[in-house]
Amino acid sequence: MNPAERLFLQRYVSDPKRNFLRFSFLFMILGIVISVGILSAALNLFEGYERALKSVLLDSFAHIRVVSAGVEPLTASEADEALKKLSEQPEIRSAVPVLSSSLLAQNGDKARGGMMQAYSWENGNENIFAKYVKKGSAEIAPGNVILGHYLAQDLGLALGDTVTVSFPRLDMITPLGMYPNQRALTVSGIYNSGFYEYDRSLLIGDLEDLRALSGIESGFSSLELRLHNKYADSAPGLAHRYNSILGKDAYAMPVINTSLLSLVRMQKWLIFIVFSFLVLIAGINVISGVLTLMLDKRAEIAVLKALGASSKTVQHILGWQVTLVCLASVILGQLFGLLISWGIANQNIYKLKGEVYFIDKLEIYASPLNQIIIFAVASLLIWFCIRIPLRRVNRMRVIDLLRNP
Amino acid sequence: MICLAGYSLHKTYQDKGQDIRVLINANLEVQRGEMVCITGKSGCGKSTLLHILGLLDDPDSGRVIINSAELSSRHVNAHKIRNRDIGFVFQFHYLLEDLCARENVALPMLIAGENKAKAFKEADSLLELLNLQERGNHYPNQLSGGEQQRVALARALINRPSIVLADEPTGNLDPHHSAEVWELMFRLNRDLEQTFVIVTHDRELARQSPKTYELKDGMLY
Repeated sequence: MNPAERLFLQRYVSDPKRNFLRFSFLFMILGIVISVGILSAALNLFEGYERALKSVLLDSFAHIRVVSAGVEPLTASEADEALKKLSEQPEIRSAVPVLSSSLLAQNGDKARGGMMQAYSWENGNENIFAKYVKKGSAEIAPGNVILGHYLAQDLGLALGDTVTVSFPRLDMITPLGMYPNQRALTVSGIYNSGFYEYDRSLLIGDLEDLRALSGIESGFSSLELRLHNKYADSAPGLAHRYNSILGKDAYAMPVINTSLLSLVRMQKWLIFIVFSFLVLIAGINVISGVLTLMLDKRAEIAVLKALGASSKTVQHILGWQVTLVCLASVILGQLFGLLISWGIANQNIYKLKGEVYFIDKLEIYASPLNQIIIFAVASLLIWFCIRIPLRRVNRMRVIDLLRNP
Repeated sequence: MICLAGYSLHKTYQDKGQDIRVLINANLEVQRGEMVCITGKSGCGKSTLLHILGLLDDPDSGRVIINSAELSSRHVNAHKIRNRDIGFVFQFHYLLEDLCARENVALPMLIAGENKAKAFKEADSLLELLNLQERGNHYPNQLSGGEQQRVALARALINRPSIVLADEPTGNLDPHHSAEVWELMFRLNRDLEQTFVIVTHDRELARQSPKTYELKDGMLY
């Protein structure tokens, strides 16, 4: 950097009020702050959504499910065998045998279809749903059931209420039709994972209760494998590998919806690209701001050139002033974006529709990497916009500037 | 030794479709250490001649020689020559409002790539020479007209140029400040042998100069 350029840069930094607070910069600053703010808020919200969705998918679901290779459920011995074979796999955090069955849950005249699951905790596996039981107890005793909170809400049930569950028994068909097994269970907990599908259909009950109701006297529907989170994205590949370990009696399949996460990630970056055009539009204000500055400083440009400054030096001197203003505006825009996203995440007017977006709460996450990307992209776009009008300095003749300052 | 010369300089302007010939075969030679005044009526082309000699404008035809090199404003190194070999003083001081007097004076040296300490030291000694040592940290709008023009003169001198070209340097000043600036230029010419080419419409002042040209009908007499 030429010492003259450095002198001007020091001047700009040491006396920002004198150099930056110009009326011609006002709309340029506003444009950048608003566009970067919107870009930043969109990315913060999408990042928050992606993380919340991923967290729910990882925490409340099995990542891989091992089922029987045939049509029958896994027998107890097949389940034990599979557990034994998989016990050496370092990626697996827990493996729990689970029995599940479809049912109809009723409270008076209200009825909803659902899925009841019962876990076998004999091997001391972690209670994977416990952290999502927001009301009541996560412990399951015979005769009790934990309900998803949307299901409880739809049926008008609260803790301590009784829900009637009906299982269709295909093995008990009478001349009057299918005979359902019915039982009244006490609601001992309300489950709220934030994942809509689970919260509106899940019932977690006692294993022996479910065996009695469903008529499945032994064995399990599946083994639910949960991976350490860092391996979650590799679930499809790992399921494939486990199949070679499990042999012909059991079959492992990935449950975690990696394509959904990929879709959300792709949407996030598409939104980023689209909203980056807003910054480009703000760049038009920058071009106009630089042109106004050049008009304001015609005499100064003439003097600098007359004193021997090259066009490049003059461009740098003017460019630094606008660049510093723009960089400060980008940072202000990012702070504004944080404010917008915080406001959206904490408002109570609009909630996400769980049936559409899978989760029902907007969350924000201002990832440092995203902030760096926003800063870099916005600064680069604006830098181009500053460069365009400054090229005119090459064509400005000192004599014209001196005659018409 | 000739440090500045213009030979067969022609310049014509277009104004409302009419050709206005401001320079017709103008010739001029300036020896090192000389003080040359160019007088003439307002609008006769004095400033145009000075701009051509200072590589700020080009003649339609003719040659400009500075320190034995033929140059024009389009020369690839014209800006370096303006910085190193020519000092400009304009009718209006054209000091940069964002810089203090000291920084304004140091600016040509900084443009030349000299370090700040050296440039400021040189600026301080020039300000002292011109009795402005107390005003170094003042901004142009805090200086009187005479002081502003003296700072502009110091700025023109800082790179020790071969020639200082002054275009009506006292045109905006009252008689007292005008005399002060003229006296200063005479002193610099006498004591430092600084070459000056000064354009003025004030014949009385020009008469004090050892060498005077009059620009009349596009020609120098």
